Amino acid sequence: MTAVACVWVEAFAAAAAERAEPALRAHPLAIVTGTAPTTHVVEANTAAREQGVRPGIPEAEAVARCPDLIRRPASAACVDAARRALLDACYGVSPRLEDVAAGLVHVDLAGLGRLGDGAAIAQRLQRAARAVGLPARVGVAGTRPAARIAARAGLGVVAAGGEARALAPVSVSTLEWSEEIVAALARWGVATLGELAALPRPGLAARLGASGLAAHDLARGVDDPTPWRPWAPPPFWEEAQELDWEIQELAPLMSVLGRVVERLTARLSAAYLVADALELRLALAGGGHHARTLALACPMGAPRPLLTLLEHDLGARPPQGPVTAVAVQASAIPRRAVTGTLGRAAPPAERDLATVLARLVTLVGPDAVGAVALADSHRPDAFVAARLEPEAAPVMPDVAGDSVLALRRLRPPRRVSVAIDEERRPVIVGGALAREARVVGCAGPWRVSGEWWDAGAWARDEWDVALSDGAVCRLARDLRDDVWYLDGVYD
Amino acid sequence: MLASLRDVTAGAGTAALVDADGAFDPASAVRAGVVLSRLLWVRCGGRRKAALAATDLLARCPGFALVVLDAGETPPRVTLGTAFRLRQAARRAGVAVLLVGRRRVAGAGATLAVRTWRDALAWAGSRRAPTRLAGMSTRVQVLRNQGASRPSSAVAEMLDEPQWWTA
Repeated sequence: MTAVACVWVEAFAAAAAERAEPALRAHPLAIVTGTAPTTHVVEANTAAREQGVRPGIPEAEAVARCPDLIRRPASAACVDAARRALLDACYGVSPRLEDVAAGLVHVDLAGLGRLGDGAAIAQRLQRAARAVGLPARVGVAGTRPAARIAARAGLGVVAAGGEARALAPVSVSTLEWSEEIVAALARWGVATLGELAALPRPGLAARLGASGLAAHDLARGVDDPTPWRPWAPPPFWEEAQELDWEIQELAPLMSVLGRVVERLTARLSAAYLVADALELRLALAGGGHHARTLALACPMGAPRPLLTLLEHDLGARPPQGPVTAVAVQASAIPRRAVTGTLGRAAPPAERDLATVLARLVTLVGPDAVGAVALADSHRPDAFVAARLEPEAAPVMPDVAGDSVLALRRLRPPRRVSVAIDEERRPVIVGGALAREARVVGCAGPWRVSGEWWDAGAWARDEWDVALSDGAVCRLARDLRDDVWYLDGVYD
Repeated sequence: MLASLRDVTAGAGTAALVDADGAFDPASAVRAGVVLSRLLWVRCGGRRKAALAATDLLARCPGFALVVLDAGETPPRVTLGTAFRLRQAARRAGVAVLLVGRRRVAGAGATLAVRTWRDALAWAGSRRAPTRLAGMSTRVQVLRNQGASRPSSAVAEMLDEPQWWTA
């Protein structure tokens, strides 16, 4: 029989705020919404609830009940980021998830036998959620409703097939019901799910209709008739934070970004991913945005190097105004496991490499640093930017390669004047390395052309020439406009 | 230069090439066996000071097996103090630094200084109208070899014979 785990975070909006500001965990906290003076509490953490702060009461009343209460405005961005973080954490345990609501995730445990029994997987899910800053409770059962109730009531693992018996002692107040059901249960004196399950179904249907039958099914732990809606991780992972105040200086902005990047990398780490590229979006006070994209030279998972890169980038191109919200988005790829061998030198540490690359980018520009790969083209000097892979497994190329002549290219190719003889071979080259040089040795032409089917068509004759000044060069005559170029010098 | 990059990248190491003029030809490198994904290419666009600063940065980063500064036709002026600091940094980080230029760059700061010059050319195709440069032979002279009193017989033999490079 299949088992389902339910991961549930109590008072999710408060937990999301605590995740964004970990210092709040030590204080009673209430999330408030509305316009003053009619603001009211949406959610409260455990410390605040113990002092009588309940969702729905006015903010003033909450402060009267708990003078030390810290209030934070409800933030959709914060809740969304935490919701995603919880899903990411669960995704590191099972690929089959159902995103039920904010702070409520169903995890299909089918095929996870190698991770242990239900209790071991529940512990693993709890650890994963804690790693992304969310205190979750986990319930495991044979059906989704039973797993939800097990998580809320702290039952842990409920044996498949024994849901009704296990849920019987749970108080009905553990679950959230409609006002009609709550009133009816109170009127009938029903206090536990077992008592609710014992009520006759036809009578419930006659008195409460479909909602009564649904409550009866829930009390018995019968599975939902709705199909499983699988959740798929999006290609980009984002972490955002709205600021209560505007930030103009780089140092406090980096402090906020540090927390955001730490949360993002914790999520990536929970899902066994690393960042491949980073996008920073800063909302500015004037209504504008400051967006930067950082192509990482190598995939990274540690927060410090990413933060160093962001700091260098923001130092070079600061935002044009005070910042009111920050968002960091990462394009993620699977983390590659690397095992060093005795004969293999350790590649540069991620942090060292990131720091050096950030400094090099500042020194010579972002387009002038990185690895390259040959482009799939016969066009001369065709290459594309590629990812530096210092941790890739060593490969022995299948070329002799021992003594290959290197061409030192001129970028862009230098235009030269060439005098040709009656056989159309170059005899004098002007404007190459010396002012004018005689051709003492010459080979060619080597005709190459390509992309004749496209707008970027090219065609040229290449000549290898030895000049009287000692240089050995490659000349090229563009066949379309009959212009000679110095392509490079043999080293 | 390509041979040393090939030995490092095809084996297991990561190499960096600081290219003062942006003259590196990836196609030649691939033919020589260089694994481009393990080579960090820094193009300095003719800025000699930036090239030297980039080399200094990379020489201090442990993990690079080889850092090459291709100084090109007009190598930057490197004071003896700078050369010794670079050498110390490279030694501490365990990085080999290779400076390539039209003239000697590091002076007494170099552990090994080698001069190469062209000896002969070979052309492919018919003798009257060759179609391609087939190769080039060079000779090598060791100008400075700090630490080794005398080259081994194999090295000495290699130094005596011209080295052929195929185009």
